[in-house]
Amino acid sequence: MHIPDGFLSTPVWVALDVAVAPAAGYIVRRAQREFEERKLPLLGVMGAFVFAAQMINFPVGGATSGHLVGSALLSFTLGPAAAGVVMIAILAIQALVFQDGGILALGANVFNLAIAGVIAGYLPFHFWGAGRARKAAIFMGGVFSVLVAALMAVSELLLSGIAMPGAVLGVSFGLFTVSALLEGAITLAVFQAVETLNPNFIKQPKAGRRIGLGLIALAAVALAGVGVLFASTNPDALQRLADTLGIASKSKPFLDAPLAEYQAGFLQSAWLRKAGAGLMGIALIYGACALLGRMVGRQRSA
Amino acid sequence: MHHVVLERWSRGTSLLHRRDARVKILSLLIFLIAVATTHRDFELPGLLYFAVLVGGMIAARLPVIGMLRRAAIVLPFSLTLAAITWISGEPRRAAMVVEKSFLSASAALLLVATTPLPQLLRGLEMLGTPRFLLMVAQFVYRYLFVIAEQAHRMRLAALCRGGRFRPKGGFRSAAGTLGVLFARSYERADRIHRSMISRGFEGHFNLLSRPSLVWADAGFLFLTAALVAVIRV
Repeated sequence: MHIPDGFLSTPVWVALDVAVAPAAGYIVRRAQREFEERKLPLLGVMGAFVFAAQMINFPVGGATSGHLVGSALLSFTLGPAAAGVVMIAILAIQALVFQDGGILALGANVFNLAIAGVIAGYLPFHFWGAGRARKAAIFMGGVFSVLVAALMAVSELLLSGIAMPGAVLGVSFGLFTVSALLEGAITLAVFQAVETLNPNFIKQPKAGRRIGLGLIALAAVALAGVGVLFASTNPDALQRLADTLGIASKSKPFLDAPLAEYQAGFLQSAWLRKAGAGLMGIALIYGACALLGRMVGRQRSA
Repeated sequence: MHHVVLERWSRGTSLLHRRDARVKILSLLIFLIAVATTHRDFELPGLLYFAVLVGGMIAARLPVIGMLRRAAIVLPFSLTLAAITWISGEPRRAAMVVEKSFLSASAALLLVATTPLPQLLRGLEMLGTPRFLLMVAQFVYRYLFVIAEQAHRMRLAALCRGGRFRPKGGFRSAAGTLGVLFARSYERADRIHRSMISRGFEGHFNLLSRPSLVWADAGFLFLTAALVAVIRV
């Protein structure tokens, strides 16, 4: 389920729409350069495949089952830019035809799933997809693609002033983690099935990419995500969350300092301050993602 | 499947159906932005927005109940979040969020129920959306049901052979099914591409009718903008 209209506050959806438009344009141009007109039906049919894959249930045990989300798998088979285009197309169709996700919130949903989700899902495979840790990289790709997208969605909702008590946040984090691990397992299983059928379906990454760089990149994305989440939580809920997690004593001074500075600064109202801090965080992540995209692209063409 | 309903609805001939796609897209955006930026006292404006939408549905000769039921698809999600907001002590905000999400979904539905998707995508292209993206979206929509039905048939076939997707070993067999579905989709894409080439595909889709703006379109845009502005203020 994607974010519908009516939940995000105006600064949040406007900022994301404005930020996503050029990013989506860049992704589309890159995919177009890589694929030309020849592969146009391929991208569309793969989008349809991701839709249809939701019909196949993966039994987990008990009465529960999960299904493939697919952004990580798409990025392993089509490459990140094309996977982004396919995800954007899917989100647009879902918003228009199925009323799943809002029109004004499309920027937010595209950012979460098609940009942040695809990049986070692809990075492990890009750096470790050729070495000994290949399986782990594929698994982690699936995990990250869902986890990052969910974290982004929650932080956007929190930024918009949707108050969530600490207990609710804790439960949702638990659920996100479970579904992220499930996506990792499904992605790995389907990946292996696809590769057995025809290894050419996979866009194999080059061997010998610098692992340290990959670690730093992943850590940056993860930290930025957590940072936005913390920045966007109002101090009240944050306190409760911190209490439940038992990190209150450590995090308190660290969190007080930047907020205090904001108080003395140019932003007056509490709401603006909160939204401003969060938007800064999102802008930072956006910048990091854009930079990473460039870097990955350059390595690929080199 | 219930998507067929939308195909039938969007092929009407009412006054609303005949408006240019670009004008309808812009009207939708105006409406959505107005709904999103109305903050205080949402009761009366909410009702008026709703009246405008229902008026539009009647003018387009669409089944109002059926439309509203379809838009209600957003409610499970918004009600959950609204319940959380309610518990946190903001009942007014919770109600507003539910109303806004339902109004926005109904408005988007009114657009797609009065505009066939090819025309809608052409309208988006004329408003500056990259053509490559829209063509991918059109392919997704075109083959969505084809591949979904293929998945359905494969599941049925597995059930017929006694496959139950049980927890033990079921995980791998589900993965195998998806792997095969992936390969079949890939091959289907190749076939589609070859047949497109043989029919002389030139890099863009053609529409049967060329869209053109008439005075009624300008009138429609003005009417929506005026109505929304009055309600908003």
